[in-house]
Amino acid sequence: MIRAALAFAALVAFAGGTSADPAAPIASDIPHFVNEAASAGVERAYTGPWEFFVGGGVAAFDCDGDRRPDLFLAGGTSPATLYRNRSATGGPLSFEAVDLGLAEEDRTRVLGAYPLDIDNDGYMDLAVLRLGSNLLLKGGPDCRFEVANHAFAFDGGKDWTTAFAATWEANQRFPTLAFGNYVDRHAPGAPWGTCADNLLLRPAPADGPVYDDPIRLTPGYCTLSMLFTDWNQSGTPSLRVTNDRQYYRGGEEQMWHVDPGKLPRLYTAAEGWRHLSIWGMGIAEADLNGDGYPEYALTSMGDTKLQQLDNEDGGEDRPVYRDIAFDRGATAQRPYAGGDRRPSTGWHSEFADVNNDGLLDLFIAKGNVEAMPDFAAYDPDNLLLGSWDGTFAEAGDKAGIAMPLRGRGGALVDLNMDGMLDLVVANRDGPTSLFRNLGMATEWGTAPLGNWLEIELFQPGPNRNAVGAHISVKTGTHVMTRAVEVGGGHASGHSGFIHVGLGTAERAEIRVRWPDGEWSHSYRVFANSFVRLERGKAAAELWLPEPPPF
Amino acid sequence: MTPGADLRGSRGKRSWQTGAALLFLLALPALADDAPPPWSERAVRSHIDFSTLGGALTAQQLDALVAAGRALFTARFTTEDGAGRPMATQAIIATKRKRPVDAAFRRTAGLDANACSSCHREPEVGGAGDFTANVFVSEGFESADFIDLDPQFSNERNTNHLFGAGLIELLAREMTADLRRERDTAVAEARRSGKPVTVALASKGVDFGSITVRPDGIVDPSGIEGIDPDLTVRPFGQKGVFTSLRQFTINALNAHHGIEADERFGARWTGTADFDEDGHGEELTPGDVSALVAFQATLPSPIETVPADPAWRTAAARGAEVFDTFGCAACHRPTLPLDSLAFADPAPFDTAGTLRTVEVQEAATYDLGLLAWAKTLPRNDQGQILVPIYGDLKRHVIADDEVNQLANELLSQRFVERDTFITAELWGVASTAPYGHRGDITTLDAVIRAHGGEGRTARDAYVAAADADRSALVAYLKTLAIDP
Repeated sequence: MIRAALAFAALVAFAGGTSADPAAPIASDIPHFVNEAASAGVERAYTGPWEFFVGGGVAAFDCDGDRRPDLFLAGGTSPATLYRNRSATGGPLSFEAVDLGLAEEDRTRVLGAYPLDIDNDGYMDLAVLRLGSNLLLKGGPDCRFEVANHAFAFDGGKDWTTAFAATWEANQRFPTLAFGNYVDRHAPGAPWGTCADNLLLRPAPADGPVYDDPIRLTPGYCTLSMLFTDWNQSGTPSLRVTNDRQYYRGGEEQMWHVDPGKLPRLYTAAEGWRHLSIWGMGIAEADLNGDGYPEYALTSMGDTKLQQLDNEDGGEDRPVYRDIAFDRGATAQRPYAGGDRRPSTGWHSEFADVNNDGLLDLFIAKGNVEAMPDFAAYDPDNLLLGSWDGTFAEAGDKAGIAMPLRGRGGALVDLNMDGMLDLVVANRDGPTSLFRNLGMATEWGTAPLGNWLEIELFQPGPNRNAVGAHISVKTGTHVMTRAVEVGGGHASGHSGFIHVGLGTAERAEIRVRWPDGEWSHSYRVFANSFVRLERGKAAAELWLPEPPPF
Repeated sequence: MTPGADLRGSRGKRSWQTGAALLFLLALPALADDAPPPWSERAVRSHIDFSTLGGALTAQQLDALVAAGRALFTARFTTEDGAGRPMATQAIIATKRKRPVDAAFRRTAGLDANACSSCHREPEVGGAGDFTANVFVSEGFESADFIDLDPQFSNERNTNHLFGAGLIELLAREMTADLRRERDTAVAEARRSGKPVTVALASKGVDFGSITVRPDGIVDPSGIEGIDPDLTVRPFGQKGVFTSLRQFTINALNAHHGIEADERFGARWTGTADFDEDGHGEELTPGDVSALVAFQATLPSPIETVPADPAWRTAAARGAEVFDTFGCAACHRPTLPLDSLAFADPAPFDTAGTLRTVEVQEAATYDLGLLAWAKTLPRNDQGQILVPIYGDLKRHVIADDEVNQLANELLSQRFVERDTFITAELWGVASTAPYGHRGDITTLDAVIRAHGGEGRTARDAYVAAADADRSALVAYLKTLAIDP
């Protein structure tokens, strides 16, 4: 992926056609994004040589207890920085840098990070992906962190780590961690065909998190994103891995069985797994058709893949997928603006409802690896708005996110608690983009989008934030689902409220499939609320920012 | 007056988003190709351009808007207007049918009326309806095609009158603002003090329970009474589940007539201009809806009449006393104080799908005080208008184990349980028999006796009272009339 892929133009041509037609009228609201990074005090760039052509992650999570997402930005050769969110409710974005309390050497060579509460103490911890030793940062009050590698018996290793995912396996107090590694630079013949193994770290039986016995996931194929996903509704998530064909030899996309108490093993062709070789950069999961089985958006160079379980060829118990990206207008294989017709390079991918119409949209961070001549130099990020016919329509230009920057990681989160998702994009060798969603543009200003909910889950005991839960939000006959997960995207993750657009619905019913598979009763909630669902409680609680936005 | 004759304009697709400043309503031309011939079977002969509505309306402009609204309210919609929804249900969220309907009209799932005034007509247009004008309320999701009158499929409801509806909505808006202010103050105090704060919720003397706020902003809504957890007073509908006349109007147009207002069923929210697949897109513009709102909002407040018969006057005076002593006034509050008669449309507390104040540059505002009937409303020493509503805009449980005639529905509605209804406003009750939410109670005596639950104490006092006092109460209620 980092070097030119000369055969790529042919692949794009074969894929044929176009993705979403940028000239097609879009009936739904197009959110108006304004980049407030400079005024918000966030100008961190992701920098560095070859090893940092990949990575560039963002972790969005609350580190000071006010429920507003704070931002941890990887810096590559620049120090990673934590920004505390000072944005007023519904107001301009505002952040202030926070002293992480880390040694300078621990803050550099960072490629990405994912938030999760590893030790179940109520404070979000961070899995920090680095070139060299990875870090597990134990979070404390008021955005304080300490390196917990020793405390958690975690060997950060020496690899070039580019992906991460986590899950709480059945009956485990602490999460199982998966680290995805890229090229083994020190192997003979590197970088070609010298992908490092990935690692699976299960918690040892102990009172605290102990990760002293890593399991090698061999072979590794230069992984750039991984995600625990319950692809078949079995209740036991598998580990989906997307890999960069630029460097592997004989490799492919992978999915691992991760069954409790058993060694992980790859899904095989005999089980239905089909060979697919792409420049895999980021995974996003969403149940687009409401059948309970997730679809996957896989970013690559050229065509984005949009995979749907193929019930005809495989049935629901075999991981056979067909690519529906072209049918849905989601290939996003070339820039939609700027006139550069060379193929795109996609990185972070994330499904979310950015215009609150009740339909999932797809964000893809785009950007040339560095100066690859066969790929678009001006390669704006995609904002593919979901339509009622199941297709996607490109709105990145109209929404104001088309920038002459090289996007990498990102996060769609509500930074100012107004019910509309804002967008953070980490850019290589360029300033971070911090897009505030102002709603729908009008001739006289902006107006709010559709109705929304933001949902916080809590369960007593381990896995307080219910990673692995599935949320089902019903409005009339329309059901929207969200999975609570740690992983995916490109070196980027976020925790906190889970956002759901409701369109014109004034109220909704929520059911939660908790991580152990138990379904909740139905919670009745009203739109435009932050709701907290605590397992075992009869009714939803509400959360109000100060001042409330409504 | 020809419907909309003075307010002609283009359909103005999504024109409400332009939020243009107020233009002169009376000068708007009709589009030449939009003008039907005199013999046209269209009931809606032109549409009102919403972009012409904004800012304070003069009395003349309000008159024109109200006239256009009245014309729409009485229009017998036809298929040429877009009446009918062959592929859409009556649901308030755009919902597709699984298959086309076999009959355009059906008393259960609709269409069930030709015009708004088909049911809202007693004692005059905008009024209530007889039992014959009952409707069958189903949310329109799981049982979209129900054909059975069995109450397991729907709730049968009598038609409420709309006189004084503008005042009701204004009261509700002020109460919503009060309650949210109390909530927000509690949130701020809990954060400041670092301790949980419990605050009583009350507005205009009506108690809505309490909330408890933790220092981290988490709100326990379990103490809230008679209102939804979002603290929006929803004054319309028998259950008190609709926020505004605008929301109610859009719901009803679709449910009863298959006329789909663009601001909810249009392409913005459904991806198509013709969601119901009847061959007509943009069936009613936001301007049309505004006219309907203006007509309803300006309907006169019912009044307390003074009987010509001296004996009736005497009995009514005694009735007013026992109304209090029986405890009727605990919920049927004779007046609620209103700060302002300025009616803004779109309204401030609607949610997406009903045009919101925040979606326009400047809402149209009309002063109900310009209307002759409003000038007669009494005021208190603080200058507040005393709205003679005989209600509290709060929901109550109205049945218990012994007295449960009013718990005769099998379906909850919009999260409100089957035995719970908003206090029926008694203004105009003399003009709007029959009684009860199903319209199946023919006398005031019988409907009082049907009060259980939170109305049980007052009901029992009535039942135990002397015949003369019971008769006096009826005499009093019979003075609360819609001015003919």
